[in-house]
Amino acid sequence: MSSPFSINGGAAVAMVGKDCVAIACDLRLGLQSLTVSNNYPKIFPYGDVYLGLTGLATDISTVSDLLRYKVNMYRLREERAISPQTLANLVSSSLYERRFGPYFVSPVIAGLNHKDGKPFICGFDSIGCIDFAKDFIVSGTASDQLFGMCEGLWEPDLGPDELFETISQALLSAVDRDALSGWGAHVYIIEKDKVTKRLLKGRQD
Amino acid sequence: MEVLLGITGKDFTIICASKAAMRGATILKASDDKTRNLNKHNLMAYSGEAGDTTQFAEYVQANVQLYSMRSGTHLGPDAVANFVRGEVAKALRSRRPYNVNLLLGGVDPTTGKPSLYWCDYLAALAKLPYAAHGYAQYYCLSILDKHHHPDIELDQGLKILRMCTDELKRRLPIDFKGVLVKIITKDGIREHDYVDDKQILPA
Amino acid sequence: MGGFDFSNHSRNAALHAQGFPLPTATSTGTTIVGCLFDGGVVIAADTRATSGPIVADKNCEKLHFITPQIWCAGAGTAADTEFTTSLISSNLELHSLSTGRQPRVVTCMTMLKQHLFRYQGHIGAYLVVAGCDPTGAHLFTVHAHGSTDKLPYVTMGSGSLAAMSVFETAWKGNMTRQGAVDLCSEAIKAGIFNDLGSGSNVDVCIITPEKATLLRNHITPNEREKKMRDYRFKKGTTAVLNQKIITRADISKYVTVHELDDGTPVAAEKMDVDT
Repeated sequence: MSSPFSINGGAAVAMVGKDCVAIACDLRLGLQSLTVSNNYPKIFPYGDVYLGLTGLATDISTVSDLLRYKVNMYRLREERAISPQTLANLVSSSLYERRFGPYFVSPVIAGLNHKDGKPFICGFDSIGCIDFAKDFIVSGTASDQLFGMCEGLWEPDLGPDELFETISQALLSAVDRDALSGWGAHVYIIEKDKVTKRLLKGRQD
Repeated sequence: MEVLLGITGKDFTIICASKAAMRGATILKASDDKTRNLNKHNLMAYSGEAGDTTQFAEYVQANVQLYSMRSGTHLGPDAVANFVRGEVAKALRSRRPYNVNLLLGGVDPTTGKPSLYWCDYLAALAKLPYAAHGYAQYYCLSILDKHHHPDIELDQGLKILRMCTDELKRRLPIDFKGVLVKIITKDGIREHDYVDDKQILPA
Repeated sequence: MGGFDFSNHSRNAALHAQGFPLPTATSTGTTIVGCLFDGGVVIAADTRATSGPIVADKNCEKLHFITPQIWCAGAGTAADTEFTTSLISSNLELHSLSTGRQPRVVTCMTMLKQHLFRYQGHIGAYLVVAGCDPTGAHLFTVHAHGSTDKLPYVTMGSGSLAAMSVFETAWKGNMTRQGAVDLCSEAIKAGIFNDLGSGSNVDVCIITPEKATLLRNHITPNEREKKMRDYRFKKGTTAVLNQKIITRADISKYVTVHELDDGTPVAAEKMDVDT
């Protein structure tokens, strides 16, 4: 039988651009080979920081709910929005707390630093080891394919429009080669004063 | 061979569950009700391990009603679904988890919008236009993919349901003793008099 | 650390019993080394993090800060090295605050081994501990099960054999600072090129009684060749079904959090929390 990470399927990716970041996910929810839903987004907003979660669907819900609670408590206590770096450490310590009984998720974070507006992305393994990357982060059942696509398509200092095309093509091409991911995609382009959310048409097979 | 089906339309949600209560290869009862009213506008259908299902359903039903008594408000379909998911997920991390698969049908009394949630025993929750559990998934989802539209009227919904139950009768090797059909609208939950005495034979 | 939460364990054990394999954590299938020299100690590491056969991070940091004069190189499960070193770092800071003394390397090594022994090897941290304190320069290795070594030159991780071959060939006593840095770098490079679990760059940390110097990416022998052409897509390449723009002005309608930038400094603002 397959691993808990590939029961439900799904893929997510984040990329750095020039004064902007992008994060994207597919929309499939499955049970092994049966597709249950073709509208199951895996990106969750926490203020203006975005978190992508792939892996076991029940843990995607549990972890996103848990973090929503923790981020809301942070906002009430600190009277300010959470920054991407702080959220990264919150996710990391929340996952490592369950070192010997992990949540089966691979999170991805994208956002702009509040103070200097610098792009920030990072990824995690299921026990909270942070992967700080300067280029891109991939996760999910199509992660091998995404690694290949991003390594080929990504380059430094892409503008918001170029970044959108690059991340979209990378994701769409990757999920077309993964039976467990696909069925459309959500793409967020995060800039200093606005966030653009787009729904992509993907293959329906 | 338990069948759970859910279909939403313009202003209604249909929930349908097989009437056979089975233990191994034996049918114990042919008029089983695998649904439970959580409140006026929310119905939960369940399948899975025998004891777990009713135990869980009654627990959830009691707690949804308790919430309403305490707060003086009614939980909407989204709130109910997320509460129920939370309970399945909590039990999943306990010594003995509930082995239940659920469909949560509802209509939001304020907006009049129908809703249908699918939740499996791992507490994976998804909001869907139509859903099924068990073998019905393999036989009915393709029919629903072809014929369903979000703004169908009730009679069209029932017509599609008929196609689904006919297909199940045609293909399932064990008789599930027909189905119980309940309809949720803004006026509440009602049982639908679903006549299916016609014998369907495989081609 | 508030301790570990085992509440998912029974569920995961049930899942495992059904035949699901356990998840693969990011591991630093690594080369880490350390070497004493006259007047100090050097540690070095490669910068590759792997998850199975996939290179998860091409330039990660495996040299961890413990105290200004004690640093640690980590191999094994990446999350474990990260959290174990930061836990001991915190406890050592509290310890030195309460004793009013500079923390010692043996203290650090003892705290690490006692923590790791308590978890019977389940915390997969393999560490090289190095530093200077009032008793001199010290170099230790700590294994996940809690055993330790004290040696003039050490290697750990999957590239430890490649690295040790360099030390056994070229090491001699009473080395100079530059000699130790060069020898450690060569040992790491042996790991980078001969061990598949190690790769990318060489990080070095030199600790003397005066100060510690971290040379991040001291040697970068694996720079990617610049792409001659690119795959930029023209605007409008991707078919979009729907689009929604959320502006910051819109968000501020619902969330009333504002930066204080009227020039009046607030006490709490001076705290640099997010860097």
